[in-house]
Amino acid sequence: MEALELYTVDDRADLYTEELKLNLGPQHPSTHGVLRVELKMDGEIITASRADIGYLHRCAEKIGENVSYLQFTPYTDRMDYLAACNNELAWSLTVEKLLGVEAPERAQWLRVIVCELNRIASHLIAFGTYGIDMGANTPFFYAFREREAIMALLERPSGGRMLYNYVRPGGVAHDIDEAWLPDVLAFCDEFERRWAEYNQILTTNRIFIGRTANVGVLPREMALAWGCTGPVLRGSGVKWDLRRDVPYLWPYEELEFDVPVGEGTHGTLGDCWDRYWVRMREMMESVRIIRQACQRVPSGDFMDKNLLRQYKTPLKPPRGEAYLRCENPRGELGFYVVSEGGTSPIRCRARGPSFCNLSVLDALLPGCMIADGVAIIGSLDIVLGEVDR
Amino acid sequence: MEALIGFFTAQLHVGPTLALSLAYAVCIGSLLGFVTVYAMFAIWMERKVAAHMQVRFGPMETGGWHGWAQSLADAVKLLFKEDLIPRDANKVMFWMAPAVVFCGVFAGFVAIPFAVGVQIADVNLGVFFIIAIASVEVVGVIMAGWASNSKYALFGAVREAAQVVSYEVPAGVALLVPVIITGSLRLGDINGWQEAHGWLVLRNPFVIVAALIYFIASLAGCKRAPFDLPEAESELVSGFHTEYSGMRFSFFFLEEYASMFVSSLLVATLFFGGWTLPFINVSAMPVPVGIVVLLAKTFFFIFVQMWLRWTLPRLRVDQVMALGYKYLLPWGFVCVVGTAIFESQGWRWLPV
Repeated sequence: MEALELYTVDDRADLYTEELKLNLGPQHPSTHGVLRVELKMDGEIITASRADIGYLHRCAEKIGENVSYLQFTPYTDRMDYLAACNNELAWSLTVEKLLGVEAPERAQWLRVIVCELNRIASHLIAFGTYGIDMGANTPFFYAFREREAIMALLERPSGGRMLYNYVRPGGVAHDIDEAWLPDVLAFCDEFERRWAEYNQILTTNRIFIGRTANVGVLPREMALAWGCTGPVLRGSGVKWDLRRDVPYLWPYEELEFDVPVGEGTHGTLGDCWDRYWVRMREMMESVRIIRQACQRVPSGDFMDKNLLRQYKTPLKPPRGEAYLRCENPRGELGFYVVSEGGTSPIRCRARGPSFCNLSVLDALLPGCMIADGVAIIGSLDIVLGEVDR
Repeated sequence: MEALIGFFTAQLHVGPTLALSLAYAVCIGSLLGFVTVYAMFAIWMERKVAAHMQVRFGPMETGGWHGWAQSLADAVKLLFKEDLIPRDANKVMFWMAPAVVFCGVFAGFVAIPFAVGVQIADVNLGVFFIIAIASVEVVGVIMAGWASNSKYALFGAVREAAQVVSYEVPAGVALLVPVIITGSLRLGDINGWQEAHGWLVLRNPFVIVAALIYFIASLAGCKRAPFDLPEAESELVSGFHTEYSGMRFSFFFLEEYASMFVSSLLVATLFFGGWTLPFINVSAMPVPVGIVVLLAKTFFFIFVQMWLRWTLPRLRVDQVMALGYKYLLPWGFVCVVGTAIFESQGWRWLPV
């Protein structure tokens, strides 16, 4: 990649201030990880930008080609580490598709619950850190209070607090305890009250609206053309959610929920505020889903018995390939796996939502102020673990 | 001051020059002590206020009771930190900047009347002196930003310069309102006037607006949220003091809290009656009562500043400028004109 060219004094005849190259990151408070953005600045205005990724590259996909199908599950946790369950789900479903098996009914419903809980936890981080990006520190602590409750809930069946390794090919790793479902429902009631608090402190704040409305406008066509997914796409007014449109888990077909889209409430459609508000409303939709799902969890196996027997030796899916995508908190996560009948895939690829959403950054930044740049990076809600993989 | 000189001349039998020098030394030493202790307390208070707003406890261990010695421990740590100057920094300016910044604010303390007669220099242009000397701070900040040889520091310094210079104007205009009513720039006189005629905020509606304008403008002047752009953490890492550490950094910190104190004290003195209380004749009581009343009011406004900081998001540069020039400044002029009309007609808003 080429470095950005700066104007020198003779390039422009009219009055201007000298341009400045500014390195935003990789060690910077608001790049959400080790993202480096090379900015060309004219005073406070960004004139060009180039996102430089790869600081967290861990060869996750290549590792997938060297370990067994089951062993790769914890590696997917570490891609988008804020939504570990959702990553595991995408991987497990892909492997199941390759094997031609389906998890038992109880496992399906449990997967819905843990994934939606994890979606709330992930959106809470997006909400909290967005507040910090805007200079409001307090919402972050409120968000972490509720995230803590979710982590405690997910710890009970899985044993992990952040990286669960819970959803596995064939079902889920462990059964839930007796009191788990009532506790999840109690959390939902509590969370609804807290959610109203978040809106009081941040969403409806005039300064916050002033900082995010009409900033980083991503028009509908552009969002589609650049392959944006998830809240970034829906913030631009495209009603596309895999849970509704391509249900990858059949329970989603039987659940009632809305797909919130941006409406341009405080300005242009597809601005930072719309993306933010889509995430906020998605949390409430997740609560709705969890409430319904908790009523429907049947008794029975939580893991496919045949597959469990096979776990003693590494899984050997038949020759073939499979691609499956899931609606992660950040967008569509897809896994492409090719098997030649061995114990590990010969090709393993991931289509990451953060990676694709990040690609619009260079197109959105020019013309903004540096403070808007921070707002835009925050509103794309990227996780560098998954961008770099 | 005069009392001290008299004391030294009479008790120690020294000449007038030596007496003056001694008096200066005592005054400045005690002020320095006061500012340092106050800053430590305010930093501890800020951490506690922030923590309790954020469902935390804040410092709880150091010193035993609610971590009261946390700031003391931090100060000791900062004192012993390695003295780092970036290789390509302009060493002299880098070294001088914290001193310039601190001196500007510290000089303002000289003219503050803490109670009747408790004042180092009874400057007859007190209001003017304090806002003038406090703006010396900008020079130090620009020096720091420039000398650091860091782009983030430079951004912070330029923002600070633009912001503070812009907000001095509405702040100065708003301060004219009490001056018009009382007819004096001497802080002691303004306080005495309020003792006789009641708090200035109750005088007419324009004074309330002027107090609000001054408070908002002083937030910007102290670089406090939502106007903390010069040190905006999520944008500029730490702004103009990005490259500073150890004792030099702590001087910027000290300066921020000291200027918070000065601006809060000005709000209390000029608009909220200073050391006076309604229905109670504080002047008839011992001097410490007046000091306590004034400090209580000051700390209330410091608390409001902290409250705002931990509640509000930060404005953008253009929004800060727009707020200053499009809203605060015109409304400041409206307040001046309105107050002038009220005063010339002898109108009162409330029967006080």
